Amino acid sequence: MKLKINRKTIEVFEGAQVRHALLSYFALKGLDVSQVERLVVFDRWGHEIDLDAPASAHEVIKYRTRRK
Amino acid sequence: MKKILFSVVLMLVALTALAERKELHILSANDMHAAIECFPRLGFIADSLRTLYPDLLILSAGDNRSGDPKNDMYEIPAYPMVSLMNIVGFHATTLGNHEFDSGQEGLAKLINMSAFSTLCSNVHPDPKWKINLRPWQKFDCGGLTVGVIGVVQLGSMGIPESLPARMTDISFTQPLETIKQYEFLRKECDVVVLLSHLGFPTDVEISKDLPWVDIIVGGHTHTQLAGGEMHNGILITQNVNRLQRVTHSTIVVEDGKVVSKKAENIAVRGEKNENKAVAELLKYFQNNPAFERVLAQADTPFLVKEELGCMVTDAYMTESGAEVSYQNAGGVRYETHAAGDFTVNDVLMLDPFQNQMMLADVTGKELVEMIIACYDNDGQRFPYVAGMTAEYSLDPATNKIKKLTLYQLDGKKLNLKKTYRLAINNYALAVSPTNRKDQGRPTGEVTSDLIIRYLEHQGHVNYQDRRCLKVVK
Repeated sequence: MKLKINRKTIEVFEGAQVRHALLSYFALKGLDVSQVERLVVFDRWGHEIDLDAPASAHEVIKYRTRRK
Repeated sequence: MKKILFSVVLMLVALTALAERKELHILSANDMHAAIECFPRLGFIADSLRTLYPDLLILSAGDNRSGDPKNDMYEIPAYPMVSLMNIVGFHATTLGNHEFDSGQEGLAKLINMSAFSTLCSNVHPDPKWKINLRPWQKFDCGGLTVGVIGVVQLGSMGIPESLPARMTDISFTQPLETIKQYEFLRKECDVVVLLSHLGFPTDVEISKDLPWVDIIVGGHTHTQLAGGEMHNGILITQNVNRLQRVTHSTIVVEDGKVVSKKAENIAVRGEKNENKAVAELLKYFQNNPAFERVLAQADTPFLVKEELGCMVTDAYMTESGAEVSYQNAGGVRYETHAAGDFTVNDVLMLDPFQNQMMLADVTGKELVEMIIACYDNDGQRFPYVAGMTAEYSLDPATNKIKKLTLYQLDGKKLNLKKTYRLAINNYALAVSPTNRKDQGRPTGEVTSDLIIRYLEHQGHVNYQDRRCLKVVK
């Protein structure tokens, strides 16, 4: 199963949540995976979605770091 | 002429005044995922709205369960949510894909215990399961007839996203074609509601084919909408999960026609004011003595974290029928455990994340690459392993793994070409992204369930001095 995160296509396992797609993305990019819980994630229309959302329901997601 | 015009205007004003105006108020939740702790607040919100609008209709767009062991591991799994939804006064829910996590018999039992209806038009269980579903239902809300149709998403396999074994002898039909069969409700109802667990993109997509629907109360994609959004003349609502917010929708009907519709979000999580009766019921579920149940005796104390890590991976491997397992070190949440009782609560504190158990068929070479990736991404902590032991050396400058050798339990090196069945939690799998053939698949179980089962099967455990990792210089 594939989805795009900030324009990069990521392959994730069946049943993955958006959280797992972002963890894989961060791991592949060599970024600190512990930051994933602090992200605000958006769907293709710019609506906020949560990290528990099923990855299979989203073809494209974007994220930004939560403002303090 | 002026007199005639004046009379006409007067008549129009009089007619307008006579036009019957009614309001439908809907309080809707979606993807609650067992957020039982939010129910006292949700009860307060429902009570407040009911004071203003006595005919308030309360709906859930599915995925009520799966998210908190106090709910999902109850003696009748997920009964606390049903009980809390009963007391808050829900009228109907549709099925989310996670409602199937209870299996056919579990689902039938939960529906029978519900004081609200379960509506899902595209799910057709074999009568032997006694799953009491209806495709739609009419509700009388203060003189307004409201038709509610339920529908659930189907994944790539043509079934909702849960374990296929839990859907044996249940057939599913395509959502849009199925919904279209109920267009007759437009003629019979003042307002038509689609209670959808299809996800926001699909709700938008199908809205163009359903001009006779007034509102789609949506769920599944955990999409936060600002109140609701109009698409093709249909108001669509949805919130992120676990009761952070709910939606209050208002639909105005004049002379049998919907003339306006709007929706607003109401914050639930973390807000003050609670319904005390609901809070008392919640307390009962949260203090469930079943969680003090002793699963096994630890014959010796667990003195270092590695001993607990070895037990966790043994449990994953043994109970899922895999040959090997590894677990990210950060996923083992305490360091030591005294000899004596090992209870359900002890397991839930040891493995609290409600991670899913996954299986993947990987070669020895792929396994080495995955473990190195897991080490790099889990704060350079080496994962605990089962069905094998690991010997590794580190680069003193970077702390990266220089060399890793995996051994079978008989001391021979793991065959790098052979394929092994790996049991792993979904977090560890996500932080081990490598270029491999099998990305993994869920078993449909929560990892803590496997530890509980393992301890029950063992009766006694002894992990004193057990080591699965060796660092060499």
